Amino acid sequence: MTVVVGHDGVLVRTAGTGPLLLHLDGRYVWSFTPERDGRPALGGVLVAWPGVLRPFLDGVGRVLVTNGAGEPVFDDDVALGSGAGRIAVVDQHGHPLSVDKVGHLTRSFAATDEAVREEILAGTERAVADLRDAGGVEVYLNYGALLGAVREGRMLDHDSDTDLCYYSRHTTPIDVILESYRVERTMLARGWNVLRMSAGDVKLLLPLSDGRVCHIDVFAAFHIDGVFYQFGNRSGSLPREAVVPPSTIELHGHTFPAPADQEAMLAFLYGPGWRVPDPSFKYADPPAGVRRLDGWFRGFRTQMPRWTEFWRGQHGATFQPSDFARWVLARTADGDRVVELGSGSGADAVFLAKHGRRIRAFDHSREAVRMTRTRARQRHGRVRAERLVLGELRQVLWLGAALARDPHHLYARQLLGTLDDDARAQLWRLASMALRRQGRLFLEFSTGGLLAPLPSPEGLVQRLDPDVVTAEIVAAGGRVEHREVGPGVGVLGRPDPSVCRLVATWKEPS
Amino acid sequence: MSLELRARNALIVARRLRQKALPGDLRARVTALEDEVQEQRQLNRRLAELLDVVTELLIPIQDRDEAKVQEILKGYRSTL
Repeated sequence: MTVVVGHDGVLVRTAGTGPLLLHLDGRYVWSFTPERDGRPALGGVLVAWPGVLRPFLDGVGRVLVTNGAGEPVFDDDVALGSGAGRIAVVDQHGHPLSVDKVGHLTRSFAATDEAVREEILAGTERAVADLRDAGGVEVYLNYGALLGAVREGRMLDHDSDTDLCYYSRHTTPIDVILESYRVERTMLARGWNVLRMSAGDVKLLLPLSDGRVCHIDVFAAFHIDGVFYQFGNRSGSLPREAVVPPSTIELHGHTFPAPADQEAMLAFLYGPGWRVPDPSFKYADPPAGVRRLDGWFRGFRTQMPRWTEFWRGQHGATFQPSDFARWVLARTADGDRVVELGSGSGADAVFLAKHGRRIRAFDHSREAVRMTRTRARQRHGRVRAERLVLGELRQVLWLGAALARDPHHLYARQLLGTLDDDARAQLWRLASMALRRQGRLFLEFSTGGLLAPLPSPEGLVQRLDPDVVTAEIVAAGGRVEHREVGPGVGVLGRPDPSVCRLVATWKEPS
Repeated sequence: MSLELRARNALIVARRLRQKALPGDLRARVTALEDEVQEQRQLNRRLAELLDVVTELLIPIQDRDEAKVQEILKGYRSTL
């Protein structure tokens, strides 16, 4: 055989195979092009298992690898990990998953039954109508759904969602962003559950009857200085006439708006070879364009996917209220209002609520907000939990304005070390607005020098120097009333050799 | 050659030497420049957010009707 499948990945022994498709127990899972995705190894080119698949690769499975023409190049039972049981790449409901073209694990249309596909298309049609009629934007179907419709007259087997774009006539990032905010408000008013991914794109969350939630991306597209940009990360040369006014296209009995020149758009997206199927296709976006899009539109939710994944993995874990919560309890009075920032599991918020504090809890992760709400419900603690993205200035200004009129203490345990410089500056801004009349900021964060162990979850939290934190607070107009360093616990409640407790105020001089 | 002239020449030579920066220095300068450009790009979102707050929140609040202010604050939140 030209291919060997093992613990490390797929070893391809001959050159020029083109894209290969890997199936597990008869289901499509992943595709790759060895020359592009692999690295030289003893005996050929090794294409490592994608990181998102690795957690599933434990047990035995029938692995079939085929080339682009559908001919098998490997077909055998493979034992991975412990080798016990069957390998199953499925979601929590047991639905089969596959790796999509941007490396995410997702359900593909091949594994989606016809009724669910119909729900997705009807939902997409409704989104189009709302964007066009209520939002007033020139919307069009794009990416995989457009490619499937034009090339094959149906959804692509290995596609997993539908993507909509709208063409913005604005030519500065600021105006494109303001338009995106307006579009978001329109869709919220139309009853959609909307998740903002950047300042230029949102996801519409469409619940499906099989328990899954389909994500319909709504991407802005625009020209700036003669360059065409289209979210996710596309940029290059495509004239406006190729984009708008929209044409139409049929897909499984539904009529969708499409780019004015469908073939030109597909060549822009997938290159001149777009007519030939390549399930392992990956975008080769110009780095300069990605840099611009990152600078203009992104940066406020960089770690959010990792946090969401982290909190998802904590379901079933036991979290105890922290010593810091008890420490703060002793320094506040019954009936005091407290806002917890970064509530995580909700253990401290519920504890404080059960001890007479009036609690509002915020976290940037939807998953953490859900956990806080669940804990509050189960333990009968009165906690109002909401999302707050500290990296978004308008959210910080809104909360600062609201708290300036309705004073609360601010409480943040193990939040500071998870924030980037920008979000930390926004936290000080929030404190300076919220605590102007009364109230204190109670902080606990991991500290200690370079010799201290890396705090967990690794890569998501850093240790901070109390002197630097103090200097930032003072620079933001605050005053540190109390500071102590000693052993404590980290984000996960595990012992931490060095944590800093700090109390600050921002009261205006009377 | 006067002292003044010699000093000026020395400055010119020093500047030329700096301009003939080693490739490593040039790389560092380009990296620093890229970071600075990226910082400027990020102001676009900051400014857009401020404009959003001013147009959606601050201007409606100017009418100083307390009930309406509460309603506006609540309404704005629901659209973030």
